[in-house]
Amino acid sequence: MDWSTVFSLSTLTNTINTATIVILAGLGCLMTDQAGMMNIGIDGMMTFGAFAAVIGSWACASWEMGLLFALAVGLVLGAFYGLFVIRFKSDEFIIGVALNIFAAAMTTFMLRSIPGQKGSFHPATGAVIKLPTITIAGMNFSMMVPLSWLLVLLAWIMIYRTPLGFWLHASGEHPDSLRSVGRSPEKMKYLASLMCGALCGLSGAYLSLGYLSTFTENMSASRGYVAVACVIFGRSNPPLVFLAALLFGFIDAAGQRMQGVVDPYLTAALPYVGTILMMVILALRQTRRKKAH
Amino acid sequence: MKSAERTRYLASLAISVLLALLVGALIMLATGHNPLEGYGALLAGAFGDERAIGNTLYKSAQLCITGLATAVASSSGIFNVGGEGQMFLGALASAWLGTLLKGSSPWIAVPACFLIAILAGAIYAWIPAVLKIKLKINEVITTILMNSIAIFFCTYMANGPLKTAERGVNQGTDALDKAFRFPRLIRSSNLTETIFWIAVISLFVWYLMSRTTTGFEMRLTGQNSRFARFAGLKAETLGILGMLISGAMCGALGMFETFGLQSRFKPDFSNEFYFDGMLVAMIMKYKPLGTILMSFFFGALKMGAVTMQSRTGISSELILIVQSIIIFFMAAEEGIMASIKARRTVRKAAMTLSKEVTG
Repeated sequence: MDWSTVFSLSTLTNTINTATIVILAGLGCLMTDQAGMMNIGIDGMMTFGAFAAVIGSWACASWEMGLLFALAVGLVLGAFYGLFVIRFKSDEFIIGVALNIFAAAMTTFMLRSIPGQKGSFHPATGAVIKLPTITIAGMNFSMMVPLSWLLVLLAWIMIYRTPLGFWLHASGEHPDSLRSVGRSPEKMKYLASLMCGALCGLSGAYLSLGYLSTFTENMSASRGYVAVACVIFGRSNPPLVFLAALLFGFIDAAGQRMQGVVDPYLTAALPYVGTILMMVILALRQTRRKKAH
Repeated sequence: MKSAERTRYLASLAISVLLALLVGALIMLATGHNPLEGYGALLAGAFGDERAIGNTLYKSAQLCITGLATAVASSSGIFNVGGEGQMFLGALASAWLGTLLKGSSPWIAVPACFLIAILAGAIYAWIPAVLKIKLKINEVITTILMNSIAIFFCTYMANGPLKTAERGVNQGTDALDKAFRFPRLIRSSNLTETIFWIAVISLFVWYLMSRTTTGFEMRLTGQNSRFARFAGLKAETLGILGMLISGAMCGALGMFETFGLQSRFKPDFSNEFYFDGMLVAMIMKYKPLGTILMSFFFGALKMGAVTMQSRTGISSELILIVQSIIIFFMAAEEGIMASIKARRTVRKAAMTLSKEVTG
């Protein structure tokens, strides 16, 4: 195999492009994780976001509207998730898995309800307007790429350097102490759910208006679950989650590069194998550390 | 479950199902279809003629075995979302052995293929179970990712090393010996003899879960693993056992699909069957008898939806939407009831307290 094609400039751009999907969704998942909720439902939130973005962008002929649609849908889903997990105290895994199945079915149903559309969205009239691109160091990226880097920084500042981040964390870890200082842990958890929804909406919009330029059925391809794995791997710390997502992006991009030599079906499975290995390595290290104590 | 509690649960289930079907009707209206026509076509598709009834029965059996597979793992504390992958490996392994044993006696070949299918499913389920129990790695994430891995791997095998040389088949393994296949019970329907096998497996799992001490211990582990450990149970072994049975069942279904309907392994044989059954088990709170009974209801809905789609153009995904909405409704109902109960206790306590103070 020619390794120079695997470690090339286009692998770098592919790595960054793929990682951005996981970075944005991972930031969302991380917000709920900070507030003590493990949100498995981010995959469904991404799917809905991707669908809303394409429809908004096509119907209004502007990417701004696409982005706005995705954000709005994300916020609604965040509130929905919060309502069940915080108010109704439902099992977060059941609600998450049900949300993902619901999202895949609902978006597929809506897509097929549009005359002549099946599998992916290809309108007869008008076009899907993509997000604008930005040139960084000679490479073209969607505007969402630098935005995701900025959001990683902002999330880090918020979580570790502001009282809000402190309260967010306390709402999950010590809700009663938070209540005793006059803050409502429920409100904090709702805030986390809403931020999660918005970020997953952004991730979906990037998926359908940046990474690709259409909506396809089940287009998240379990990347939401990969994002959850990255959050666990990065221990809910934004820069570490960012690195984990980059690692995932690299495996994905390198796999695509190897397609000439290795069967494409096998390379497509690589990122998922890599994600599971990442989790196993982390868990092994943690148990070893526990034993050492 | 206490009888009052069970009545309340059944009532809320019935209301949730009706409301969800109503939402389904609203969705039909919103997309410009007549709901009566839609549900009419659905009923005709589920029970219209002999062939439709055969299809419905087979779909119900599919939901039953996958639902119980979810239930047996969940009741012992592990949420198996990976049945799809376990089913794919079972299907591929059995098809591979089946083509190797071509020409030998079906009395040897079929049981051997069945064994390798359940082994493949069980081993693939064992991995996330061990990761969960030994390393505390969340099983929902590992099983879902392992689905993708298994499907990609099986698709690779069916397009590569195990691809048939037969013309006109663009992906799939060699056709299985006719003598190995399960005959159809109703002509041109999906109902094959595998339904008896599925019935036997389902009865066995129901018996295990609700009538044996092992089943009781598994449920105890699932509800409270720490308590189970205090009671002297091997919580870890029981959790792994639940997953092994679950994976074996999914592997078996993979073989039934391959030897019954498909006649060879094809990577597109499943339209996410496992998730349909998983939702049934989730709706029935992993109760084995409830899951078996509910399979027939959703089997009819699922099969009818295919006809609904071809006749009225309403996408069959609608039933998946209805299923997930039932889960949301039941979760909401439970939450609302719990908060009312909590408020009532608080009020009662306040009243007795004020009585004591004034009296």
